[in-house]
Amino acid sequence: MTSSLHIDLHKISKFVNTSIPILFVLFLTSGIFISFYLHFLTIAFFFLMVVNFFYMNVQKEHVILKNFGIMGQARYMIESIGPEMRQYLFANDREERPFSREERSEVYRKAKNIDSASSFGSQQGFDSSEIKIRHTMFPTPKEKLESFSVTYGEERGLDSAYTINKPMMISAMSYGALGVNAVRSLARGAKLAGIPMNTGEGGYPKYHLMEDCDLIFQIGTAKFGVRDSEGLLDDSKLADIASKPQVKMIEIKFSQGAKPGKGGLLPKEKITDEIAELRGIQKGGDVVSPPFHPECDTVEHTVQFIKRVQDVSKLPTGFKVCLGKLSEFEILVEEMKRQNVFPDFISVDGAEGGTGAAPKAFLDGVGLPLAVGLHSVNDCLKRHGIRDKMKINASGKLISPGAQMIAFSLGADAIYSARGFMLSLGCIQALQCGNNTCPVGITTHDPELQKGLNIASRAIRVSNYVHNIEHDLEEILRATGCKNFSELSLENLYIPKNTVIGELNQGLTATKVAS
Amino acid sequence: MKKNMISWIAQIIVIAILGMTLYGKFTDAPEVVELFSKIDMGPVGYKLIGAFELVACVMLLIPKSAIWGAILSWGLMSGALLGHITKIGFAGELGLLAGMAAVAWVLSCLIIFLRSRQVSFISKMFGAENPNDAH
Repeated sequence: MTSSLHIDLHKISKFVNTSIPILFVLFLTSGIFISFYLHFLTIAFFFLMVVNFFYMNVQKEHVILKNFGIMGQARYMIESIGPEMRQYLFANDREERPFSREERSEVYRKAKNIDSASSFGSQQGFDSSEIKIRHTMFPTPKEKLESFSVTYGEERGLDSAYTINKPMMISAMSYGALGVNAVRSLARGAKLAGIPMNTGEGGYPKYHLMEDCDLIFQIGTAKFGVRDSEGLLDDSKLADIASKPQVKMIEIKFSQGAKPGKGGLLPKEKITDEIAELRGIQKGGDVVSPPFHPECDTVEHTVQFIKRVQDVSKLPTGFKVCLGKLSEFEILVEEMKRQNVFPDFISVDGAEGGTGAAPKAFLDGVGLPLAVGLHSVNDCLKRHGIRDKMKINASGKLISPGAQMIAFSLGADAIYSARGFMLSLGCIQALQCGNNTCPVGITTHDPELQKGLNIASRAIRVSNYVHNIEHDLEEILRATGCKNFSELSLENLYIPKNTVIGELNQGLTATKVAS
Repeated sequence: MKKNMISWIAQIIVIAILGMTLYGKFTDAPEVVELFSKIDMGPVGYKLIGAFELVACVMLLIPKSAIWGAILSWGLMSGALLGHITKIGFAGELGLLAGMAAVAWVLSCLIIFLRSRQVSFISKMFGAENPNDAH
């Protein structure tokens, strides 16, 4: 294409590369004959000349710099601010991932206690392929609505059975993944809202305990906080942590949605002296947890391990899993029945879940999505007649009441969210969680970046978020005509055919879909 | 580790060379006045250069800014050598001054090379990869 206004980047770079030496000579001469002060410019152009010479004649790695010299840097410079530019200016409200601006705004508005109603129709592009909630012509009157209550451990008749009165819980995020201020803001918010918070697998929950909220202690595959010298479970350490009045439940992590089949990962940038001490690890390298618990090498041993943790902790104990092979889960359920040992809850994590750092292939490609995993677990437990022996928690991008309602209808008893709560703290989705450079001070240990995160004011946002979600959930529940969340079932969903979950709905067993 | 040690030694020497004439520049010492008169620079000129040298010395002392200090001292020493070549000359004592400027110039180059990883556009001069560029 030729046009008088055509911008030819090749020509511009050639022009610049020729101009630099000419200007250098020009200023050198005028420095000699007019004023020595002009040599300030001589030196500046000399510097550019040297840099340009190295780019074009010395280095061999960067093709753009070799061909175009210093002007090639423009590409790196402009590209480096690309993520910010796209988020601020160019990406539309529904295209960012993992959460679009529209989804994030809903959380921000709930956290700030601003009305989140919008006008002139939905922003979604409807093509009848999305799951919808079926409402009724006869909504439940407000006074007939039963208040939310789920008691973990009631099936085993535990004295320590734990009841939650809000449908949401803060999912596992360790001190290590999060900085001190973020952990304390969440913990204080949880206390305000009256919900429990999962400690994550980060060892002794020093900062979680500081705010006195209810805690679910998570045992990761590396058993940080409860490990012996060989990395196995130390019963006395577990009993010690379980005896703390704040610790209400224990969760054994088998796998997580971000990287199912792979252990936790804490990048070396984020390991401070204190974190190394709390976890009992060395500094200097990434900390990679093993992909499975050494005690759980067979199905039989896995169930025995659950029993052992239940006995030692004397607390409601469950496990977290992102489903892979459903046939394995069937075998696990059969073994539970054979040994007559049942976890008090199962937390089903969808493969779309994931606050944690993970290899891209695991983030994108491994594990079953939540809708399939959750439905399959619920269905499997029902077929084996043990659905009433335990509760099911669901997690995986459940940050809005609409998504949470679908999870309830697929069989969840309560909702776990991690990123929803991070957004309520003020996360701007800068995607820097693994680099220790989080600009809003949530996933960093840099005191300079954390100072903006005020614990007292952020805790109120966390609490607002919970209350507004609860309010919305109740409104939707009434619209479905149900009195409580346990009445919800697949009947309350419109699930389009020709989707995996649609096939499930048509009566295919979950096993067939998985195999 | 070894690289770091060499860089620190070079930094100290450069600071010593730059620092030597600093006091004279700010107290209008006669030899400084005479030297700068050869390149038509009055008190404003040599005090400005002195200020730049002071900044370079301070930056060379701080690990995070050492490479920027080295770039600044490289520029100042380039100017000094340019002065010697075009106006001042190398007679007697002046030759020694020029020699020290040359040493500081070479060491500044060394510091920039050793610490090139601290600054992306410098490290690319030697072909290093910046992980953030892999888009």
